[in-house]
Amino acid sequence: MKRNLISLDNLSRNAIVDFLDLAAQFEVMPASKKEKLLSGKILGVLFFEASTRTRLSFESTMLRLGGQVIGFSEAINTSVVKGESLQDTIRTVENYCDVIVIRHPREGAARLAAEISHIPIINAGDGSNQHPTQTLLDLFTMQKLYGQIDKLKIAMVGDLKYSRTVHSLVHALVKFKDVEFLLVSPDSLRLPEYVTSALETGSFHARETTDLREAVDSCDVIYMTRIQRERFPDPLEYEKVKDSYRLDAALLKNAPPRLKILHPLPRINEISVDVDSTPHAAYFQQVACGLIMRQGILYSILGGKL
Amino acid sequence: MTATERVLLIPKIENGFVIDHIPAGFGLEILRVVNQHHELDNVVITLGSNCKSRKLGRKDLLKFQTSQLPPRFLQHLSLICSGVTVKRIKNFEVEAKIVLEPPEIVEGFLACPNPNCITNHERGASTSFHLLNRSPNAFHCAYCERDFSMSELEAALPKR
Repeated sequence: MKRNLISLDNLSRNAIVDFLDLAAQFEVMPASKKEKLLSGKILGVLFFEASTRTRLSFESTMLRLGGQVIGFSEAINTSVVKGESLQDTIRTVENYCDVIVIRHPREGAARLAAEISHIPIINAGDGSNQHPTQTLLDLFTMQKLYGQIDKLKIAMVGDLKYSRTVHSLVHALVKFKDVEFLLVSPDSLRLPEYVTSALETGSFHARETTDLREAVDSCDVIYMTRIQRERFPDPLEYEKVKDSYRLDAALLKNAPPRLKILHPLPRINEISVDVDSTPHAAYFQQVACGLIMRQGILYSILGGKL
Repeated sequence: MTATERVLLIPKIENGFVIDHIPAGFGLEILRVVNQHHELDNVVITLGSNCKSRKLGRKDLLKFQTSQLPPRFLQHLSLICSGVTVKRIKNFEVEAKIVLEPPEIVEGFLACPNPNCITNHERGASTSFHLLNRSPNAFHCAYCERDFSMSELEAALPKR
Protein backbone atom coordinates (compact mmCIF):
# COMPACT_ATOMS: atom_id res chain seq x y z
CA MET A 1 0.00 0.00 0.00
CA LYS A 2 1.33 3.44 -0.88
CA ARG A 3 2.24 5.71 2.02
CA ASN A 4 1.62 9.45 2.09
CA LEU A 5 2.73 12.16 4.49
CA ILE A 6 -0.06 14.74 4.54
CA SER A 7 -0.77 15.89 8.08
CA LEU A 8 0.41 15.44 11.64
CA ASP A 9 -3.20 14.81 12.55
CA ASN A 10 -3.00 11.33 11.04
CA LEU A 11 0.39 10.48 12.54
CA SER A 12 0.50 8.67 15.88
CA ARG A 13 3.22 9.32 18.44
CA ASN A 14 4.74 5.94 17.53
CA ALA A 15 4.84 6.85 13.84
CA ILE A 16 6.55 10.16 14.72
CA VAL A 17 9.08 8.35 16.92
CA ASP A 18 9.78 5.90 14.05
CA PHE A 19 10.63 8.86 11.79
CA LEU A 20 12.89 10.34 14.51
CA ASP A 21 14.69 6.98 14.93
CA LEU A 22 15.12 6.62 11.19
CA ALA A 23 16.60 10.13 10.94
CA ALA A 24 19.02 9.28 13.76
CA GLN A 25 20.18 6.25 11.74
CA PHE A 26 20.62 8.37 8.61
CA GLU A 27 22.65 10.90 10.60
CA VAL A 28 25.41 8.41 11.35
CA MET A 29 25.25 6.50 8.07
CA PRO A 30 28.32 6.97 5.83
CA ALA A 31 27.65 8.80 2.55
CA SER A 32 28.98 5.78 0.62
CA LYS A 33 26.18 3.63 2.05
CA LYS A 34 23.49 6.22 1.29
CA GLU A 35 24.42 7.00 -2.27
CA LYS A 36 22.56 4.10 -3.92
CA LEU A 37 19.62 3.69 -1.54
CA LEU A 38 17.13 5.33 -3.94
CA SER A 39 18.96 4.61 -7.16
CA GLY A 40 16.53 4.41 -10.11
CA LYS A 41 13.82 6.39 -8.28
CA ILE A 42 12.56 9.79 -9.47
CA LEU A 43 11.19 12.53 -7.23
CA GLY A 44 8.58 14.90 -8.70
CA VAL A 45 8.77 18.32 -7.06
CA LEU A 46 5.56 20.31 -7.60
CA PHE A 47 5.96 23.70 -5.94
CA PHE A 48 3.01 25.98 -6.69
CA GLU A 49 4.42 28.42 -4.10
CA ALA A 50 7.90 29.84 -3.58
CA SER A 51 10.40 28.03 -1.36
CA THR A 52 14.15 27.83 -0.85
CA ARG A 53 14.88 25.36 1.92
CA THR A 54 12.10 22.85 1.58
CA ARG A 55 12.44 22.39 -2.16
CA LEU A 56 16.23 22.41 -2.29
CA SER A 57 16.56 20.11 0.72
CA PHE A 58 14.20 17.57 -0.86
CA GLU A 59 16.10 17.79 -4.13
CA SER A 60 19.44 17.50 -2.38
CA THR A 61 18.16 14.56 -0.34
CA MET A 62 17.04 12.68 -3.42
CA LEU A 63 20.35 13.28 -5.17
CA ARG A 64 22.36 12.22 -2.11
CA LEU A 65 20.38 8.99 -1.93
CA GLY A 66 21.12 8.21 -5.58
CA GLY A 67 17.76 9.20 -7.06
CA GLN A 68 16.83 11.83 -9.62
CA VAL A 69 14.60 14.91 -9.55
CA ILE A 70 12.13 16.54 -11.93
CA GLY A 71 9.60 19.30 -11.29
CA PHE A 72 8.89 23.01 -11.10
CA SER A 73 9.36 25.69 -8.49
CA GLU A 74 6.58 28.05 -9.50
CA ALA A 75 3.31 27.45 -11.28
CA ILE A 76 3.83 30.31 -13.75
CA ASN A 77 5.63 28.20 -16.39
CA THR A 78 3.23 25.26 -16.22
CA SER A 79 -0.17 24.28 -17.60
CA VAL A 80 -1.68 25.52 -14.34
CA VAL A 81 -1.73 29.06 -15.77
CA LYS A 82 -3.74 27.66 -18.71
CA GLY A 83 -6.34 26.55 -16.17
CA GLU A 84 -5.30 22.93 -15.63
CA SER A 85 -6.76 21.47 -12.46
CA LEU A 86 -4.57 20.10 -9.68
CA GLN A 87 -6.12 16.68 -10.22
CA ASP A 88 -5.14 16.64 -13.90
CA THR A 89 -1.63 17.81 -13.04
CA ILE A 90 -1.25 14.95 -10.55
CA ARG A 91 -2.68 12.36 -12.96
CA THR A 92 -0.08 13.49 -15.49
CA VAL A 93 2.98 13.86 -13.30
CA GLU A 94 2.48 10.54 -11.49
CA ASN A 95 3.47 8.85 -14.75
CA TYR A 96 6.84 10.58 -14.69
CA CYS A 97 8.06 9.79 -11.17
CA ASP A 98 7.88 7.50 -8.11
CA VAL A 99 7.02 10.02 -5.40
CA ILE A 100 5.66 13.59 -5.42
CA VAL A 101 6.46 16.43 -3.04
CA ILE A 102 3.84 19.15 -3.31
CA ARG A 103 3.54 22.70 -1.97
CA HIS A 104 0.32 24.53 -2.76
CA PRO A 105 -1.32 27.78 -1.57
CA ARG A 106 -4.71 26.12 -0.94
CA GLU A 107 -5.44 24.20 2.26
CA GLY A 108 -6.18 20.52 1.61
CA ALA A 109 -4.38 20.43 -1.77
CA ALA A 110 -1.97 17.69 -0.68
CA ARG A 111 -4.80 15.52 0.63
CA LEU A 112 -6.71 15.91 -2.63
CA ALA A 113 -3.53 15.02 -4.55
CA ALA A 114 -3.04 11.91 -2.37
CA GLU A 115 -6.57 10.73 -3.14
CA ILE A 116 -5.97 11.00 -6.89
CA SER A 117 -2.41 9.75 -7.08
CA HIS A 118 -1.23 6.16 -7.40
CA ILE A 119 2.21 7.10 -6.07
CA PRO A 120 3.10 8.50 -2.62
CA ILE A 121 2.46 12.20 -1.90
CA ILE A 122 4.42 14.25 0.60
CA ASN A 123 2.90 17.54 1.76
CA ALA A 124 5.48 20.33 1.75
CA GLY A 125 2.91 22.93 2.88
CA ASP A 126 -0.76 23.50 2.01
CA GLY A 127 -1.87 27.11 2.55
CA SER A 128 -1.86 27.88 6.26
CA ASN A 129 -2.77 24.30 7.16
CA GLN A 130 0.10 21.83 7.59
CA HIS A 131 3.80 21.39 6.90
CA PRO A 132 4.54 17.93 8.29
CA THR A 133 8.13 17.50 7.08
CA GLN A 134 9.08 20.82 8.72
CA THR A 135 7.47 19.56 11.92
CA LEU A 136 9.35 16.28 11.85
CA LEU A 137 12.64 18.12 11.36
CA ASP A 138 11.73 20.53 14.19
CA LEU A 139 11.08 17.57 16.47
CA PHE A 140 14.31 15.89 15.37
CA THR A 141 16.21 19.10 16.20
CA MET A 142 14.62 19.25 19.69
CA GLN A 143 15.35 15.55 20.24
CA LYS A 144 19.01 16.14 19.33
CA LEU A 145 19.30 19.25 21.52
CA TYR A 146 17.60 17.87 24.64
CA GLY A 147 17.56 14.09 24.22
CA GLN A 148 13.77 14.07 24.57
CA ILE A 149 10.63 15.98 23.65
CA ASP A 150 8.48 15.09 26.66
CA LYS A 151 8.40 17.81 29.34
CA LEU A 152 9.94 20.55 27.15
CA LYS A 153 8.81 24.14 27.69
CA ILE A 154 8.32 25.65 24.25
CA ALA A 155 7.46 29.23 23.37
CA MET A 156 5.82 29.79 19.97
CA VAL A 157 6.43 33.40 18.98
CA GLY A 158 5.04 35.71 16.30
CA ASP A 159 2.47 34.77 13.70
CA LEU A 160 0.55 31.96 15.34
CA LYS A 161 -2.52 32.64 13.20
CA TYR A 162 -1.25 31.97 9.68
CA SER A 163 1.94 29.96 10.33
CA ARG A 164 1.42 26.39 9.12
CA THR A 165 4.70 25.33 10.75
CA VAL A 166 3.24 26.36 14.11
CA HIS A 167 -0.07 24.63 13.42
CA SER A 168 1.66 21.38 12.44
CA LEU A 169 4.07 21.55 15.37
CA VAL A 170 1.24 22.05 17.86
CA HIS A 171 -0.59 19.02 16.45
CA ALA A 172 2.58 16.95 16.90
CA LEU A 173 3.71 18.20 20.32
CA VAL A 174 0.36 17.45 21.99
CA LYS A 175 1.12 13.77 21.29
CA PHE A 176 4.11 13.96 23.68
CA LYS A 177 3.95 14.02 27.47
CA ASP A 178 3.76 17.13 29.66
CA VAL A 179 4.87 19.60 27.00
CA GLU A 180 4.36 23.20 28.14
CA PHE A 181 3.44 25.86 25.59
CA LEU A 182 3.86 29.59 25.95
CA LEU A 183 2.02 31.25 23.05
CA VAL A 184 3.51 34.68 22.37
CA SER A 185 1.78 36.78 19.72
CA PRO A 186 0.08 40.10 19.04
CA ASP A 187 -3.63 39.89 19.75
CA SER A 188 -4.53 39.81 16.04
CA LEU A 189 -2.20 36.85 15.35
CA ARG A 190 -3.21 34.50 18.18
CA LEU A 191 -3.37 30.77 17.58
CA PRO A 192 -6.76 30.14 15.89
CA GLU A 193 -9.50 28.25 17.65
CA TYR A 194 -9.37 25.42 15.11
CA VAL A 195 -5.78 24.75 16.25
CA THR A 196 -6.33 25.33 19.97
CA SER A 197 -9.02 22.64 19.83
CA ALA A 198 -6.10 20.22 19.24
CA LEU A 199 -4.75 21.38 22.59
CA GLU A 200 -7.79 19.97 24.32
CA THR A 201 -6.33 16.49 23.96
CA GLY A 202 -3.19 15.14 25.57
CA SER A 203 -1.25 16.08 28.70
CA PHE A 204 0.28 19.54 28.29
CA HIS A 205 -0.09 23.07 29.57
CA ALA A 206 -0.68 26.13 27.40
CA ARG A 207 -0.70 29.82 28.23
CA GLU A 208 -0.90 32.96 26.12
CA THR A 209 1.11 36.14 26.58
CA THR A 210 2.26 39.12 24.55
CA ASP A 211 5.62 39.38 26.38
CA LEU A 212 8.66 37.85 24.66
CA ARG A 213 10.81 38.47 27.77
CA GLU A 214 8.77 35.87 29.65
CA ALA A 215 9.70 33.26 27.01
CA VAL A 216 13.40 34.10 27.26
CA ASP A 217 13.35 33.69 31.04
CA SER A 218 11.28 30.54 31.34
CA CYS A 219 11.44 28.29 28.26
CA ASP A 220 13.75 25.60 26.84
CA VAL A 221 12.93 26.43 23.22
CA ILE A 222 11.83 29.65 21.56
CA TYR A 223 10.27 28.85 18.20
CA MET A 224 10.30 32.14 16.30
CA THR A 225 8.20 32.69 13.19
CA ARG A 226 8.18 35.27 10.45
CA ILE A 227 5.14 37.52 10.16
CA GLN A 228 4.15 36.41 6.65
CA ARG A 229 3.21 39.37 4.46
CA GLU A 230 1.80 37.03 1.76
CA ARG A 231 -0.87 35.60 4.10
CA PHE A 232 -2.43 38.97 5.06
CA PRO A 233 -5.59 39.87 3.17
CA ASP A 234 -5.11 43.51 4.24
CA PRO A 235 -1.63 45.11 3.82
CA LEU A 236 -2.44 47.69 6.53
CA GLU A 237 -2.95 44.91 9.05
CA TYR A 238 0.48 43.54 8.10
CA GLU A 239 2.11 46.95 8.65
CA LYS A 240 0.61 47.13 12.15
CA VAL A 241 2.16 43.87 13.35
CA LYS A 242 5.16 43.19 11.09
CA ASP A 243 7.82 44.08 13.66
CA SER A 244 5.97 42.96 16.79
CA TYR A 245 8.76 40.75 18.09
CA ARG A 246 12.48 41.13 17.65
CA LEU A 247 14.92 38.84 19.36
CA ASP A 248 18.46 40.21 19.73
CA ALA A 249 21.60 39.39 21.66
CA ALA A 250 20.81 42.04 24.30
CA LEU A 251 17.49 40.38 25.11
CA LEU A 252 19.29 37.04 25.43
CA LYS A 253 22.08 38.41 27.64
CA ASN A 254 20.89 36.76 30.86
CA ALA A 255 19.01 33.88 29.25
CA PRO A 256 19.55 30.43 30.77
CA PRO A 257 22.26 28.50 28.83
CA ARG A 258 19.74 25.75 28.10
CA LEU A 259 17.61 28.08 25.95
CA LYS A 260 17.75 27.39 22.21
CA ILE A 261 16.21 29.46 19.42
CA LEU A 262 14.59 27.70 16.47
CA HIS A 263 13.07 29.26 13.36
CA PRO A 264 11.67 27.57 10.22
CA LEU A 265 13.35 30.36 8.16
CA PRO A 266 13.45 32.57 6.18
CA ARG A 267 13.85 35.24 8.86
CA ILE A 268 13.39 38.92 8.22
CA ASN A 269 13.71 41.17 11.28
CA GLU A 270 12.46 38.86 14.01
CA ILE A 271 15.90 37.47 14.86
CA SER A 272 18.74 39.95 14.76
CA VAL A 273 21.95 38.69 13.11
CA ASP A 274 23.81 39.31 16.38
CA VAL A 275 21.96 36.29 17.81
CA ASP A 276 23.72 34.00 15.28
CA SER A 277 26.96 34.00 17.25
CA THR A 278 25.32 33.27 20.62
CA PRO A 279 25.14 29.69 21.95
CA HIS A 280 21.35 29.98 21.82
CA ALA A 281 21.10 30.07 18.01
CA ALA A 282 20.06 26.64 16.72
CA TYR A 283 18.24 27.57 13.50
CA PHE A 284 21.06 26.68 11.14
CA GLN A 285 21.53 23.39 12.96
CA GLN A 286 17.80 22.97 12.33
CA VAL A 287 18.43 23.36 8.58
CA ALA A 288 21.04 20.58 8.73
CA CYS A 289 18.56 18.40 10.64
CA GLY A 290 16.07 19.04 7.83
CA LEU A 291 18.28 17.34 5.29
CA ILE A 292 18.74 14.30 7.53
CA MET A 293 15.06 14.04 8.42
CA ARG A 294 14.02 14.33 4.77
CA GLN A 295 16.41 11.49 3.89
CA GLY A 296 14.51 9.37 6.40
CA ILE A 297 11.13 10.54 5.11
CA LEU A 298 11.83 9.91 1.41
CA TYR A 299 13.42 6.55 2.09
CA SER A 300 10.57 5.43 4.34
CA ILE A 301 7.75 6.72 2.10
CA LEU A 302 9.30 4.82 -0.82
CA GLY A 303 9.10 1.64 1.22
CA GLY A 304 12.72 1.36 2.33
CA LYS A 305 13.69 -0.40 5.55
CA LEU A 306 17.09 -0.13 7.22
CA MET B 1 -59.22 19.74 24.45
CA THR B 2 -60.70 16.52 23.09
CA ALA B 3 -59.01 14.19 20.65
CA THR B 4 -61.50 15.28 17.94
CA GLU B 5 -60.63 18.96 18.44
CA ARG B 6 -56.90 18.16 18.15
CA VAL B 7 -57.59 16.34 14.88
CA LEU B 8 -59.40 19.43 13.59
CA LEU B 9 -56.48 21.70 14.52
CA ILE B 10 -53.85 19.55 12.80
CA PRO B 11 -55.67 17.15 10.49
CA LYS B 12 -54.54 13.56 10.28
CA ILE B 13 -53.08 12.55 6.93
CA GLU B 14 -54.05 9.35 5.17
CA ASN B 15 -50.64 8.71 3.59
CA GLY B 16 -47.35 10.56 3.87
CA PHE B 17 -44.81 11.55 6.51
CA VAL B 18 -44.85 13.35 9.85
CA ILE B 19 -41.76 15.04 11.21
CA ASP B 20 -42.39 15.07 14.91
CA HIS B 21 -40.64 16.20 18.09
CA ILE B 22 -39.31 19.36 16.47
CA PRO B 23 -38.29 21.80 19.23
CA ALA B 24 -40.99 24.51 19.50
CA GLY B 25 -40.23 27.39 17.14
CA PHE B 26 -37.90 25.36 14.90
CA GLY B 27 -40.67 24.25 12.50
CA LEU B 28 -40.30 27.43 10.44
CA GLU B 29 -36.55 26.76 10.14
CA ILE B 30 -37.36 23.32 8.71
CA LEU B 31 -39.82 24.89 6.27
CA ARG B 32 -36.93 27.08 5.10
CA VAL B 33 -34.93 23.88 4.46
CA VAL B 34 -37.93 22.37 2.65
CA ASN B 35 -37.85 25.39 0.36
CA GLN B 36 -34.28 24.47 -0.70
CA HIS B 37 -35.35 21.03 -2.00
CA HIS B 38 -37.29 21.52 -5.21
CA GLU B 39 -38.57 17.91 -5.18
CA LEU B 40 -40.93 19.09 -2.42
CA ASP B 41 -42.27 22.10 -4.34
CA ASN B 42 -45.70 20.57 -5.01
CA VAL B 43 -46.15 18.70 -1.75
CA VAL B 44 -48.97 19.78 0.61
CA ILE B 45 -47.38 20.51 3.99
CA THR B 46 -49.09 21.32 7.30
CA LEU B 47 -47.19 22.99 10.14
CA GLY B 48 -48.28 22.52 13.70
CA SER B 49 -46.62 25.09 15.91
CA ASN B 50 -46.25 25.12 19.70
CA CYS B 51 -48.27 21.93 20.22
CA LYS B 52 -48.40 20.24 23.62
CA SER B 53 -45.88 17.41 23.96
CA ARG B 54 -45.33 14.96 26.81
CA LYS B 55 -41.67 14.63 25.79
CA LEU B 56 -40.75 18.26 25.05
CA GLY B 57 -43.45 20.32 26.81
CA ARG B 58 -44.06 22.23 23.57
CA LYS B 59 -43.14 21.11 20.06
CA ASP B 60 -43.62 21.80 16.36
CA LEU B 61 -44.57 19.15 13.81
CA LEU B 62 -44.80 18.99 10.03
CA LYS B 63 -47.01 16.74 7.91
CA PHE B 64 -46.11 15.98 4.30
CA GLN B 65 -48.70 14.53 1.94
CA THR B 66 -46.26 12.72 -0.35
CA SER B 67 -45.27 9.14 -1.10
CA GLN B 68 -41.57 9.77 -0.38
CA LEU B 69 -39.16 12.25 1.18
CA PRO B 70 -35.97 12.89 -0.86
CA PRO B 71 -32.85 11.34 0.80
CA ARG B 72 -30.94 14.63 0.45
CA PHE B 73 -33.69 16.42 2.35
CA LEU B 74 -33.49 13.85 5.16
CA GLN B 75 -29.70 14.19 5.22
CA HIS B 76 -30.05 17.96 5.42
CA LEU B 77 -32.58 17.60 8.24
CA SER B 78 -30.35 15.19 10.17
CA LEU B 79 -27.59 17.80 10.09
CA ILE B 80 -29.56 20.81 11.27
CA CYS B 81 -32.12 19.19 13.53
CA SER B 82 -30.87 15.83 14.85
CA GLY B 83 -33.23 14.05 17.21
CA VAL B 84 -36.48 14.73 15.35
CA THR B 85 -38.69 11.72 14.58
CA VAL B 86 -39.74 10.90 11.02
CA LYS B 87 -42.91 8.76 10.85
CA ARG B 88 -44.23 7.12 7.69
CA ILE B 89 -48.05 7.14 7.63
CA LYS B 90 -50.17 4.61 5.75
CA ASN B 91 -53.97 4.55 5.98
CA PHE B 92 -53.87 7.07 8.86
CA GLU B 93 -51.57 4.79 10.92
CA VAL B 94 -47.87 5.05 11.75
CA GLU B 95 -46.26 2.35 9.62
CA ALA B 96 -42.60 3.06 10.54
CA LYS B 97 -40.59 5.66 12.39
CA ILE B 98 -36.95 6.64 12.78
CA VAL B 99 -35.11 9.20 14.90
CA LEU B 100 -32.70 11.24 12.80
CA GLU B 101 -29.08 11.14 14.00
CA PRO B 102 -26.26 13.29 12.58
CA PRO B 103 -24.15 11.25 10.11
CA GLU B 104 -20.56 10.39 11.12
CA ILE B 105 -19.33 11.32 7.64
CA VAL B 106 -20.93 13.76 5.20
CA GLU B 107 -19.63 13.31 1.66
CA GLY B 108 -20.33 15.82 -1.09
CA PHE B 109 -23.31 17.56 0.53
CA LEU B 110 -21.80 20.46 2.48
CA ALA B 111 -19.60 23.24 1.13
CA CYS B 112 -16.52 24.22 3.13
CA PRO B 113 -16.86 27.71 4.65
CA ASN B 114 -13.07 28.22 4.46
CA PRO B 115 -12.57 30.30 1.27
CA ASN B 116 -9.01 28.96 0.89
CA CYS B 117 -9.99 25.28 1.12
CA ILE B 118 -9.02 23.41 -2.05
CA THR B 119 -12.60 22.09 -2.37
CA ASN B 120 -13.75 25.65 -3.17
CA HIS B 121 -11.26 26.02 -6.03
CA GLU B 122 -10.85 22.67 -7.76
CA ARG B 123 -13.33 21.68 -10.45
CA GLY B 124 -15.13 18.49 -9.52
CA ALA B 125 -13.61 18.24 -6.05
CA SER B 126 -16.04 16.80 -3.55
CA THR B 127 -16.18 17.74 0.14
CA SER B 128 -15.87 15.43 3.12
CA PHE B 129 -16.73 16.27 6.72
CA HIS B 130 -16.41 14.16 9.87
CA LEU B 131 -18.70 14.58 12.84
CA LEU B 132 -16.85 16.13 15.80
CA ASN B 133 -19.62 16.92 18.30
CA ARG B 134 -23.32 16.21 18.68
CA SER B 135 -25.88 18.72 19.97
CA PRO B 136 -24.77 21.18 18.86
CA ASN B 137 -23.43 19.41 15.77
CA ALA B 138 -19.93 20.34 14.60
CA PHE B 139 -17.90 18.92 11.72
CA HIS B 140 -14.23 18.69 10.66
CA CYS B 141 -13.25 19.30 7.02
CA ALA B 142 -11.08 16.38 5.85
CA TYR B 143 -9.21 18.68 3.44
CA CYS B 144 -8.39 22.00 5.15
CA GLU B 145 -8.66 20.28 8.58
CA ARG B 146 -10.73 23.07 10.13
CA ASP B 147 -13.66 22.58 12.46
CA PHE B 148 -17.04 24.22 11.84
CA SER B 149 -20.28 24.55 13.76
CA MET B 150 -23.41 23.51 11.91
CA SER B 151 -24.53 27.15 11.68
CA GLU B 152 -21.30 28.06 9.81
CA LEU B 153 -21.81 25.11 7.46
CA GLU B 154 -25.49 25.94 6.98
CA ALA B 155 -24.55 29.49 5.95
CA ALA B 156 -22.18 28.10 3.29
CA LEU B 157 -24.73 25.73 1.76
CA PRO B 158 -25.62 26.71 -1.80
CA LYS B 159 -29.01 28.40 -1.92
CA ARG B 160 -31.62 27.73 -4.61
